[in-house]
Amino acid sequence: MKKKKILALVLAASMAGGMLAGCGSTSSGDETAKGDKSSGKVYYLNFKPEQADQWVELAKEYTDETGVQVDVQTAASGTYESQLKSEMAKDEAPTLFQVNGPVGLATWKNYCYDLSDSDVYKDVESDDYILKDGDAVDGIAYVIETYGLIYNKALLNKYFELPDASIKSIDDLNNFQALKTVAEEIQAHKDDLGVEGAFTSAGMDSSSDWRFKTHLANLPIYYEYKADGIDSTDAIKGTYLDNYKQIWDLYLNNSTCEPSMISSKTGDDAASEFALGEAVFYQNGTWAYNDIKDNEVADEDMGMLPIYIGVDGEENQGLCTGSENYWCVNKNASEEDIQATLDFMKWVVESDEGRDMLANEMGFVTPFTTFSDYLPDNPLVKANAEYTEAGKTPVSWNFTTMPSENWKNNLGGALLNYAQGTGAWDSVQTAFVDGWAEEYAAANE
Amino acid sequence: MNKKVKHGTLLTVIFTLLSLLYLYPIILVFINSFKKKVYISKAPFEIPTGKMYVGLENYIRGIKQTRLIQAFGWSLFITILSVAVIILCCSMCAWYICRVKTKFTKILYMLCLFAMIVPFQMEMFTLSKIANMLHMGNPWGLVVIYLGFGAGLSVFMFTGFMKSIPLEIEEAAMIDGCTPIQTFFRIVLPIAKPTCVTVTILQAMWIWNDYLLPSLVLDQRKYKTVPMAVQYLKGGYGSVDMGAMMGTLVLAIVPIIIFYLFCQRYIIEGVVAGAVKG
Amino acid sequence: MQKAIKRYFPVFVLPTLIAFTIGFLAPFVLGVYLSFCKFTTVTDAKFIGLSNYAKILGDGDFLHSLWFTALFTIVTVLLINIFAFAVAMLLTKNIKGTNIFRTVFFMPNLIGGIVLGYVWQLLLNGILAHFQKTLTYSSKYGFWGLVILMLWQQVGYMMIIYISGIQNIPGELIEAAQIDGANKVQLLRYVTIPMVMPSITICTFLTLTNGFKLFDQNLALTNGGPDKMSEMLALNIYYTFYGRTGWEGVGQAKAVIFFIIVGVIALIQNKLTTSKEVQQ
Repeated sequence: MKKKKILALVLAASMAGGMLAGCGSTSSGDETAKGDKSSGKVYYLNFKPEQADQWVELAKEYTDETGVQVDVQTAASGTYESQLKSEMAKDEAPTLFQVNGPVGLATWKNYCYDLSDSDVYKDVESDDYILKDGDAVDGIAYVIETYGLIYNKALLNKYFELPDASIKSIDDLNNFQALKTVAEEIQAHKDDLGVEGAFTSAGMDSSSDWRFKTHLANLPIYYEYKADGIDSTDAIKGTYLDNYKQIWDLYLNNSTCEPSMISSKTGDDAASEFALGEAVFYQNGTWAYNDIKDNEVADEDMGMLPIYIGVDGEENQGLCTGSENYWCVNKNASEEDIQATLDFMKWVVESDEGRDMLANEMGFVTPFTTFSDYLPDNPLVKANAEYTEAGKTPVSWNFTTMPSENWKNNLGGALLNYAQGTGAWDSVQTAFVDGWAEEYAAANE
Repeated sequence: MNKKVKHGTLLTVIFTLLSLLYLYPIILVFINSFKKKVYISKAPFEIPTGKMYVGLENYIRGIKQTRLIQAFGWSLFITILSVAVIILCCSMCAWYICRVKTKFTKILYMLCLFAMIVPFQMEMFTLSKIANMLHMGNPWGLVVIYLGFGAGLSVFMFTGFMKSIPLEIEEAAMIDGCTPIQTFFRIVLPIAKPTCVTVTILQAMWIWNDYLLPSLVLDQRKYKTVPMAVQYLKGGYGSVDMGAMMGTLVLAIVPIIIFYLFCQRYIIEGVVAGAVKG
Repeated sequence: MQKAIKRYFPVFVLPTLIAFTIGFLAPFVLGVYLSFCKFTTVTDAKFIGLSNYAKILGDGDFLHSLWFTALFTIVTVLLINIFAFAVAMLLTKNIKGTNIFRTVFFMPNLIGGIVLGYVWQLLLNGILAHFQKTLTYSSKYGFWGLVILMLWQQVGYMMIIYISGIQNIPGELIEAAQIDGANKVQLLRYVTIPMVMPSITICTFLTLTNGFKLFDQNLALTNGGPDKMSEMLALNIYYTFYGRTGWEGVGQAKAVIFFIIVGVIALIQNKLTTSKEVQQ
């Protein structure tokens, strides 16, 4: 009988052992992959889906070169905050992550390693491109981006040549009224011009809705801050909401598709409409170049206009330039991992491979001094340089002060309902003004 | 008699049409999988010809972006191993519950019944945290979780059947000198084979198609299952690549259909048996 | 014999018990506790009493999803069962090709909800495009889209169960009824339906819980759009957890309420089945 009891225990132990051994076995697999040179490893949670593939490629190059393991994971569009939250709770948390600006930093500052002694910080051109918490350097921007109305020069010239075109030159297209005239006349002549509409579809799928609920919404916020002489607020007044409405109406009424279709139009749809020459204007930024190049529209035909919303003096308005991509290093990671991460960042901004990838493949303009020979071959970036040279005032990125993701989502929902005719503009106003105060209070309670 | 035959033919025709309609969504995806991505949402009902046709490009892109082959491997691995472990452990546990009448087994049985009605959302957050704390974010850990989460239904179904096995057979075996383990594997398990099939079918259908549990528990950098790979296409690239999506969908569906055509009888019987007992 | 088996407790029960504790019991108990806490990860939970539950009452999206889910469940339970029963009746009449039809109708069940969602998204958006609409234009489209999808997926499953129920009706019973002069409607009303009552209860219960717990299809087909108007309970809970910082506790409280609803349905179903069995 005793024998049987022992047998039973052994069997049970082996079964349980099999289960538990399984749990531990992955780490052993990692160790062999890690290589011998360094014990630290890097896990980068990337924010920008447009460059997901290139980051993976770059990480692989680094691993091949140094033997240090670099994992890159890219969050789906619009899910970065939630994914960062769930990943940070795991014990293999990201060592390198991103915040979008001051609001993002407020949530994550307890996780940020002070980068003031890092090599990457020494390479930054100016302190305009970093996020500070007291004296600590918590975040470093790695890409400076610009957005506006990307336009097709060839198509626009074709319009200028139309006998009854009211606007005859790009130089006259420097305010909302002119933009409205051009857009409406293009829409009226869309068959003559061989296009489907003046603007690409204003898609409100999650892959595209940020263009309007975040980037377009930046303009009324920018002008309000400017008028009030502030750079953030706990309660927005919505002074320029009427301007927001008129630009949104313009997008909707002169588009490639009916407003009733936009709820499922994706970012890809808009990009391909522009790339195939079906629309003249496409609100997006320098990062979109990768999606639209090598199609029907030649590089020299791509330009970018400021987004005019009908504010006095906007003739001098430039493009919207800023960054919502700040690198932060997780200070809760192990020392080796932090060191490995800092080394990786240094390599990215200093090595030939890293610079080539960032500038030429990803098409980034960076704030690093090391990149003077690496300027991206991106016509949209050049457009921005031209505006700056002409002395126009760039519009800063104030959307990084929006109180929460939920605020943006509610605004997006209201914008969509208004567009479809299933809701009134009042609800946009409510989401914008009242929602701001509520979400600000909730986030800072 | 004649009238009845006509009636039958008419029904056959109606059902044939209905069947075709039933298969249409899948056929549509198949057709679109050969179409260039920009045309898919514009002209979903057109046959891809001329410049719309892209051959296998969508499939290649789909496989590359989602690492679908690995995802298939992991899905297969997780499903097979989980089902095997569930069958083995739960049948043993069920037999113990049937044959040993104590307060403990009664409570355990009640808990299994209880587990069947608790929706996953109730457990989702805490389960993913616990799994992470115990380092179970890998396929092996997932198998353990599936055993735990699937135990309710499986134990319930096995006990339901084993209660009806006459005690005399087992007693005779024990008297002949069999240990309980021998008795179980030589006598009880072979008799319970139909229940094994039922449980296998039900659990395999659930585990293979499950999206939420693996997506919360698994370390997504290393492991993806097929449903996770499909959903990743929607999310991971900022915008939806409809071409790759169509290719991936076809690849996700075809093996299932082939498997189904071969094991149809078991699957349908399993479902019926499962429903009657459940 | 009981004694002999009892000694083997570690072999027979322990593996399942450990897994059951990790995979079910511990998360459940912790989940109930956390619904009374404010937390972002499990380790920093702070007890705050009922305020999570209070917050739910002010969450219009949740109440909307509750109502939406209830309506959806009622509609799908009715439609799926009616269609499945009708098809099952016809397919037990010895029509040519019955087996092929059964195979076809059952097939969608084996395909996962995520995959099905995207298949139908293509088809339905394609059709709606002719009317300049999309699935996420308003919750109505999403609602009926989901209903159609669920019908397509589940009619086959329920049909199989009904077929087995119908086939189990003894032939003599029907013959006896026919000899007594029962017509087709009477036969259905007084013989077939009472005899397949167990199948009806099972199918009702299955469709009921499937409707309430629906997640994958909802995520893939509409993702709750537009503006959360086609968001069902399970998806709403998911987004409360993972979409809003600081709302994890509320998400857990919603999950508890969800559990109670599903639990009550199960209890009612259980009561009904047992009382029916007694009658027979």
